[in-house]
Amino acid sequence: MPDPGRVAALRDPWRRGPWLMLAPWLVGSLLLVGLPALLTLLLSLTAYDGISAPVFTGFDAYRIVARDPLAGRALENTLLFLVAAVPLRIIGALGLALLLERPRRGTGTARVAAWIPAVIPDVAAALVWLWIFNPLLGPVNLLLGALGLPTPGWLADPETARIPFVVMAAAGLGEGFVVLLAALKGIPPEIRSAAALDGAGRVATFRAITLPFLVPWLVVLSIRDTVVALQWTLIPALVMTGGDPYYSTLFLPQAIREEAFDRFRYGPGSALIVLLALVAAAVSVGILLLARGRGVTDAD
Amino acid sequence: MRTSPGGRVAAAGGVALRLLVAGLFLLPLLWVASASLRAPGLPPPRGVEWIPDPVSLDAWSRLLTLAPVGRALVLSVVVAAIVVPVTILVSSLAGFAIGRMGAPARRTLLGLAVVLLLVPAPALWLTRFLLYRTAGIIDTPLVLLLPAAFGLSPVFVLLYAWGFRRVPTELIEQARMDGAGPFRAWWSVAFPLVLPTTVAVGVLAFVATWGDAVTPLLYLRSDELTTLPLAIRTLQTLDRSDWPILMAGALLLALPAIALFGIAQRRFLADDRIAETFGRRG
Repeated sequence: MPDPGRVAALRDPWRRGPWLMLAPWLVGSLLLVGLPALLTLLLSLTAYDGISAPVFTGFDAYRIVARDPLAGRALENTLLFLVAAVPLRIIGALGLALLLERPRRGTGTARVAAWIPAVIPDVAAALVWLWIFNPLLGPVNLLLGALGLPTPGWLADPETARIPFVVMAAAGLGEGFVVLLAALKGIPPEIRSAAALDGAGRVATFRAITLPFLVPWLVVLSIRDTVVALQWTLIPALVMTGGDPYYSTLFLPQAIREEAFDRFRYGPGSALIVLLALVAAAVSVGILLLARGRGVTDAD
Repeated sequence: MRTSPGGRVAAAGGVALRLLVAGLFLLPLLWVASASLRAPGLPPPRGVEWIPDPVSLDAWSRLLTLAPVGRALVLSVVVAAIVVPVTILVSSLAGFAIGRMGAPARRTLLGLAVVLLLVPAPALWLTRFLLYRTAGIIDTPLVLLLPAAFGLSPVFVLLYAWGFRRVPTELIEQARMDGAGPFRAWWSVAFPLVLPTTVAVGVLAFVATWGDAVTPLLYLRSDELTTLPLAIRTLQTLDRSDWPILMAGALLLALPAIALFGIAQRRFLADDRIAETFGRRG
């Protein structure tokens, strides 16, 4: 005779309910993200041209990548872009969300405006920024020239070529802004008004209540922005520079595209993709360690 | 409200700041709009040319005749109308369930979501193609809909998990005592309380699927299955120097996303609405 407690537990909808709720996401993720990602990891251990069957070659593909000076250059450029663009996007999105949190005069327009650069298709946006940073005709240098300041060559000069990419990425902070706006709306208003009644100033309320409440959201956004920024440069670089001048804007996504999809060398191409994922993982671990113990909701 | 002179100065400064932000972020849109109204074949303008001379609707009329815009628009709308609600459903159910799990299971699942988030998109391009080919669904509309099955992005599941953690446990326990099952507790108690999260996820999911040019490019071949971003990308391959038509296309693609957020933030992210939502807790 079966244990009656056990039967009750099996019948209890609160026992199996959560797993039923998880099932679509879990199955979908494992089949459509986990499995193809695992296959790419396996391909990085092979020589594969997309036609004949893959041949296992151990870590040869990684050795090829490690010996390729252009891959090193692409990694360096990508990291330089990452450390500038991601903090700018997160701090910018947080600042805007705090500024535009409450409906006041001009808030609606400013909210929609902050959202817009994120939804302009990247090909068109890249063309617009290409013209904004044009050394001769563009508004940036016309303004700098009128103020008597030096006018850099921007995308034409290896020293400054990455700056327009950072500015363009920072301008597209709209998605982070929307997420943080929603997160702010989720903080029970009475908690913050209680703090204000207790005599806490704006800065004190922000540091003691608002920021700790936002930490889980900021962690998710920072990790997401890191992953997005790592692959985002593909289309802008294609439109604005093609990796020039002197490989100063050659980023990892372009290197991956050329290796895997132009030269059909999926082994080294997949090894570069794994490298990209490892960079994302390393940065994310750093973000998680930085946020540890600082949030209200447990972020682990 | 405050009426002290200092308060008034601060309020005026706040309005000025908000207008400055609006102006700064609106500039790219204005440039796109203005460039779409230039006559074809002109050299790029020197400095800022707000209103082109002459104003030309040539790019817009060519856009609507050249590209299969009408058909692509219908498919894009249908795909978004299915993908966005399914994404909200899948990710909010998963987020709610993660919130209800005990600590070990919850940590494992949150960790899994973060690991999935770290998978770069290029890691999926070729191998997902191989899987779709094996399943025989290349060049069917199914490839546009399938990403909704995993909630488009693990970010949405994480946002819901955080959002549902904010809902007081007593409310869920109360519903359970009253005999509600977990699905009923999710739908009638917890889901209405995370409305701001749903707005953010809905808007982001719409943009992700509406502007996705990669999925149709990789997994679709026939002309009947063109989505709007792909139709507009074709314009660029026809003639890269034809800026006006590309800008018109970009604007056509961006406008629904802009309008959607405009409506959503007005209706759902205003203070009174949220106060009312939280009022329901009592």
